[in-house]
Amino acid sequence: MTDTRTTIDICGAAELEPGDSRIVEIDGRKFGVFNAGGELYAIEDRCSHDDGPLAEGPFDPEARTVECPRHGSLFDLRSGRPRTLPAYLPVETFPVRVEDGTIKMEVR
Amino acid sequence: MATPEIAVAKPDDLTGIKDSYEYGFHDSEKDYAFKAKKGLNREVVEEISDFKNEPAWMRAFRLKALEHFEARPMPEWAGGHMDSIDFQNIHYFVRASEKQGRTWDEVPDDIKNTFDKLGIPEAERKYLAGVGAQYESEVVYHQIREDLEKQGVIFMDMDSGLREHEDLVREHWATVIPPNDNKLAALNSAVWSGGSFVYVPPGVHVEMPLQAYFRINTENMGQFERTLIIADEGSFVHYIEGCTAPTYTTDSLHSAVVEIIAKPGSRVRYTTIQNWSHNVYNLVTKRAIAHERATMEWIDGNLGSKLTMKYPSIYLMGEHAHGEILSIAFAGRGQHQDAGGKAVHIAPNTTSTITSKSISKDGGRASYRGLLEVAPGATGSKSKVVCDALLLDEESRSDTYPTIRIGEDDVDVGHEATVSKIGEEQLFYLQSRGLSEEEASGMIVGGFIEPFTRELPMEYAVEMNRLIELQMEGSIG
Repeated sequence: MTDTRTTIDICGAAELEPGDSRIVEIDGRKFGVFNAGGELYAIEDRCSHDDGPLAEGPFDPEARTVECPRHGSLFDLRSGRPRTLPAYLPVETFPVRVEDGTIKMEVR
Repeated sequence: MATPEIAVAKPDDLTGIKDSYEYGFHDSEKDYAFKAKKGLNREVVEEISDFKNEPAWMRAFRLKALEHFEARPMPEWAGGHMDSIDFQNIHYFVRASEKQGRTWDEVPDDIKNTFDKLGIPEAERKYLAGVGAQYESEVVYHQIREDLEKQGVIFMDMDSGLREHEDLVREHWATVIPPNDNKLAALNSAVWSGGSFVYVPPGVHVEMPLQAYFRINTENMGQFERTLIIADEGSFVHYIEGCTAPTYTTDSLHSAVVEIIAKPGSRVRYTTIQNWSHNVYNLVTKRAIAHERATMEWIDGNLGSKLTMKYPSIYLMGEHAHGEILSIAFAGRGQHQDAGGKAVHIAPNTTSTITSKSISKDGGRASYRGLLEVAPGATGSKSKVVCDALLLDEESRSDTYPTIRIGEDDVDVGHEATVSKIGEEQLFYLQSRGLSEEEASGMIVGGFIEPFTRELPMEYAVEMNRLIELQMEGSIG
């Protein structure tokens, strides 16, 4: 089976401080990358409720959630699962790590 | 989708309605404990929170919700019907009585007399397991049968629920309807007051209904109750709500949020008989989650209000969950009943039915707006949607806005819709049996809504038929 994973450089580790988030676009796909107290998370920037943008919504580093700016569903950044309606399907999550001072994300 | 014109009540139109609306009286406000100035801003929200001496997280929740409300435009799909609401011309918090009664004798006389006229204490004595009576912004009377309390059933007003069961409330609060779900849910989240908190422990069946009654008295009043019902595993509860208001020539606003969580194997029935006066905007968000093998039933009757926009929803989250939505709407002169329901099948082998019946007369407008959604993976799900509209004259209208989204192949879904008028032959046949034309029409309408009335407890079915008869008065000739 062919491994389709690609590692992408997001930014320097110092550029995304605890409590920060940013949206990155790669080949037409958008992702949200979050720093929650030093733990890094990445999800697709698409609410599963109505396919609108997600990662620009309020980010709660303590609860590790992002809130859909359109209809208020809270998504768990660790699992991608919605904690509240109206969304009920999970969004995709991606592994993120710091390597040589750079934040890297693995996408398929 | 093109948005048709809407019939809006002008003050003069209300003259005739007052005659047939028997709950249009109002009480004096001279002994009120507090009445907020008109208008909505951060200070009003903080004032409500201060009055209730709430925990910090609820205060923060309200203020964040206010930001959502202010940032959101009116929903486009509403077609401008809500645009005439002046949110700054409303009293957002009115406290009629300083304390809540556990007996009717503890309720101020004026208010007690009003609930007597509405028949609530009598109904409580005869056939209810518990009663909550909300007057303006707060619940002035609350009682539950002692045996149910001993079994661990909680039925109290939402303010007391938050005070006495904060952890349980916080765990479930706004998980079904988040504050930013829609503009009106955001408004409710910012200024909510009153409503019911219900918890039924595992395996407990509350055989007699719990009743909540909502009464607006003040002119330009906003009532924003918040209800949370949690039915634990294998339990059953039937919650009934009714509502009325005085008739004024200016508008009031009722915007509730109702969240229901039906845990595995439980059954919740929520019955509404909405009979607001014809100057009330009734814009309500109601949503339920049904877990594995749970059954959720919305029995939703809409007779009153100027404009109702309400679509009770069920999210079928667990396998073999079942949802039932039965909605009737009666739109008379100057009224627009935009009702319906939503069923979302998320787990496999879930089932639902949505039955909508509407009657329009004297230029009234009834709309069915609904959603049936089957998520990918919800194999073996079945759903049936039936919408029937009855038009009683040439000037009235009916619209249907169904949305169906099917993300799975192995499902069984049906949708039927009919629009009809009272047939000359039906009238002729009944009149040949000795009925007047008015009686014959009433009988046909009664038969049309029979699927709804047969689901009501007998006393409510009788009352419902009487209200329909009142609405039908003068419809012939």
